[in-house]
Amino acid sequence: MKRRQMYFRMITASLIRRRSRMLVALLSIAIGAAILSGLVTIYYDVPRQMGAQFRNYGANMIITSEGGSLTDGDIEQSRSYIDSADIVGVTPYRYESVRIRELPVMAAGTDMSQALLTSPYWSVEGAMPAAEGGQLLLGASLSEQFRLGVGDEVTVSFTPEANGTASDEPVLDSTLDLTVAGVLKTGGPEEDYVYIAMSDLETLTGISGKADLAEMSVSASGDKLKAYADVISANVPAVSASLVKRVTESETTVLTKLQALVLLVTVVVLALTMICVATTMTAVVAERRREIGLRKAIGASNGGIIKEFMGEGMMLGAIGGLAGSLLGFVFAQQVSVNVFGSSISFMPVLVPITILVSVAVTGVSCLLPIRSATQVDPALVLKGE
Amino acid sequence: MFFRMISGTLFRQWKKMLMIAFTIALGASLATAMLSVMLDVGDKVNQELKTYGANITVVPKESSVLNSLYEVEDGGSSGAYLREDELGKIKTIFWAFNIIDYAPFVNAKATLDDGSEIIAVGTWFNHHMELPTGEQLDAGVASMRNWWSITSGKWLDEQSADSRTVAMAGSALAQRLGIQPGDTVHLTGTESDITVTVVGIFDAGGDEDGRLFMPLDTAQALDGLDGKIDSIEVSALTTPENELAVQAAKDPKSLTIAQYETWYCTAYASSICYQIQEVITDSVASPVRQVAESEGAILEKTELLMTLITILSLVGSALGICNLVTASVMERSAEMGLMKAIGAQNSSVSGLVLTEIVITAIIGGTVGFFAGWGFAQIIGHTVFGSSIEMRPVVIPIVAVLVLVVTLAGCIPAIRMLLRLHPAEVLHGK
Repeated sequence: MKRRQMYFRMITASLIRRRSRMLVALLSIAIGAAILSGLVTIYYDVPRQMGAQFRNYGANMIITSEGGSLTDGDIEQSRSYIDSADIVGVTPYRYESVRIRELPVMAAGTDMSQALLTSPYWSVEGAMPAAEGGQLLLGASLSEQFRLGVGDEVTVSFTPEANGTASDEPVLDSTLDLTVAGVLKTGGPEEDYVYIAMSDLETLTGISGKADLAEMSVSASGDKLKAYADVISANVPAVSASLVKRVTESETTVLTKLQALVLLVTVVVLALTMICVATTMTAVVAERRREIGLRKAIGASNGGIIKEFMGEGMMLGAIGGLAGSLLGFVFAQQVSVNVFGSSISFMPVLVPITILVSVAVTGVSCLLPIRSATQVDPALVLKGE
Repeated sequence: MFFRMISGTLFRQWKKMLMIAFTIALGASLATAMLSVMLDVGDKVNQELKTYGANITVVPKESSVLNSLYEVEDGGSSGAYLREDELGKIKTIFWAFNIIDYAPFVNAKATLDDGSEIIAVGTWFNHHMELPTGEQLDAGVASMRNWWSITSGKWLDEQSADSRTVAMAGSALAQRLGIQPGDTVHLTGTESDITVTVVGIFDAGGDEDGRLFMPLDTAQALDGLDGKIDSIEVSALTTPENELAVQAAKDPKSLTIAQYETWYCTAYASSICYQIQEVITDSVASPVRQVAESEGAILEKTELLMTLITILSLVGSALGICNLVTASVMERSAEMGLMKAIGAQNSSVSGLVLTEIVITAIIGGTVGFFAGWGFAQIIGHTVFGSSIEMRPVVIPIVAVLVLVVTLAGCIPAIRMLLRLHPAEVLHGK
């Protein structure tokens, strides 16, 4: 008991008395540990955060019916197979050919409140139409063709299909007056469509509760997404989920590269930082050769000296590691907030890992100079050679 | 005498100096590697994002109107065309270097022997071009549709001898017709008929699965569309849009001359579109927002992320160097005390220490710079499969950083040296 007390007293006294020098060493260990914990946190968080950015490309899964049309129930059921935290948006679409000023135009009925979630790249001049209906979103090329702008009134007409039984009677067109709420620009085929609320399209056609397809934007990539699609196809009757290859394949490629980049950078930075910490510790220990010589001269054993110096170094490592892991989290949090605008989750397991690594690095880097110092003749060291 | 003293320290205490040089080299290599990667990561990621395909589409001016007047549902030929002979001009615009790939498309309607109609798409697969600049380029869907998975067979090779009578079928079409690679399909167009051999079946996960892709000439001949194309897809490296680009995209004429110059000479998607319209007669080039917009966001985030990591590692390496320099200078207090005891001035002692450290820093920094360049190349090759371009601006940044950090590291040590009382030092306190 006495021995151990003495041991701790010697270590703490040595740390406190050589305050400025120890602060330098501590600072260097803490920075190393901060870099370790900060970069590892970022490395684990990058796929999640970047994945969210990739959702800018829009829907990555399309749900269609294997025969007939998709019902709201089908969509709800498909949705239930995906972890709700992973769902960015689900938008049903129903396409019908309607007429504006007697010219045929493709109309897409959709849920206006969801459309921007699955197609975040839409650029809307004006505003998105209200979800409850009465307004429409006009594709840019249609807007130019009809010379219609935001705020204009337009009449949309629809000719129901003759259903055989009453073929002799003339089929009356149903019409609906809608206001142009916005003009849609995408640079793609969407510019040739007119988007109206699902409820309006149902009023117009007289058929409700069906959709042609549903776009889904799911924040998952690669195998996980594939698994979701397979589960939906297998479990929901008469529904097949397919991946939008162009988006998913490319996302997997780019995301893998990005993660590899952060991993490599982390490894390089870590390796170099750890060597830096090691050289600092080596320098701090090496300058105490005189002290080591003196101890030996008054009868300390090599083992005792090594134990004491290692204890000192490892204590520094532990304190520095603790401080560093907290600093690192603060750094990772700052990066996440600045880059991605969202906070990062704290990984408690990183604290012990960081401390262990710092203790190991400082321990190893102290061991070498101490061993060489203990091997010299005390008389020579004290004499100053 | 001064030089003799310095070279004496450098040679006699080479172990200690080596350690300082080593730490400085590590810090400098870290700084070099991170700065090089950071400055190049934008281009590299941009290159990767090209897997999303074209970010600019070019269509004839009248097509948007005509397309909705006729054939709304199947998106077939519309009546207005671009000219095939002008395709090469795309590689002559101001930002030609940023155009990494493009492919023309022509849609022809063809009738199969069983009477069903299909869309035959004529395009480039791996079209080889010799540009007037002496550059060579292989462009076409083989690289622009790299998300297609070839379920059986292989990619169509335009350079092969029988390239005019081969085609690739989408998986849905192949399933409907029950064709395998090697089978032939007889197509009747409005002008001529042809028998093509299917060399590969692809799965595109979209509308293209129901179409038959064949070389441009073959599809043009079917419907008598010689020299005409429906659309061009262009894949270009672009700069994320800013306010100027948004304003210019609405109307380039609203800009002042200086703004116009800036806009025209920056690789915005809108300025590249504008330049394409200048060389292709009666065309409308527009950025595909789905791709252009997302690319911008991802690029920006990646660059910002790398910048912050770089700053962290710069701070880390700066502190590492600083610490070691302080520790190693302080260690030599006995030597400095002796010098002061035999009459050295404070200024000459400080001068001596500084010169030694700066020489060590220059040696260490140079070694570190090259090592860091090597690290950057390793990262470049492992992650992106291409080397990282060395930006000249990295050299001064690293040089200034190393010098400033080293000198800053000497400050506390020198202050201590100045306060030394020779008698105390020599006495061993």
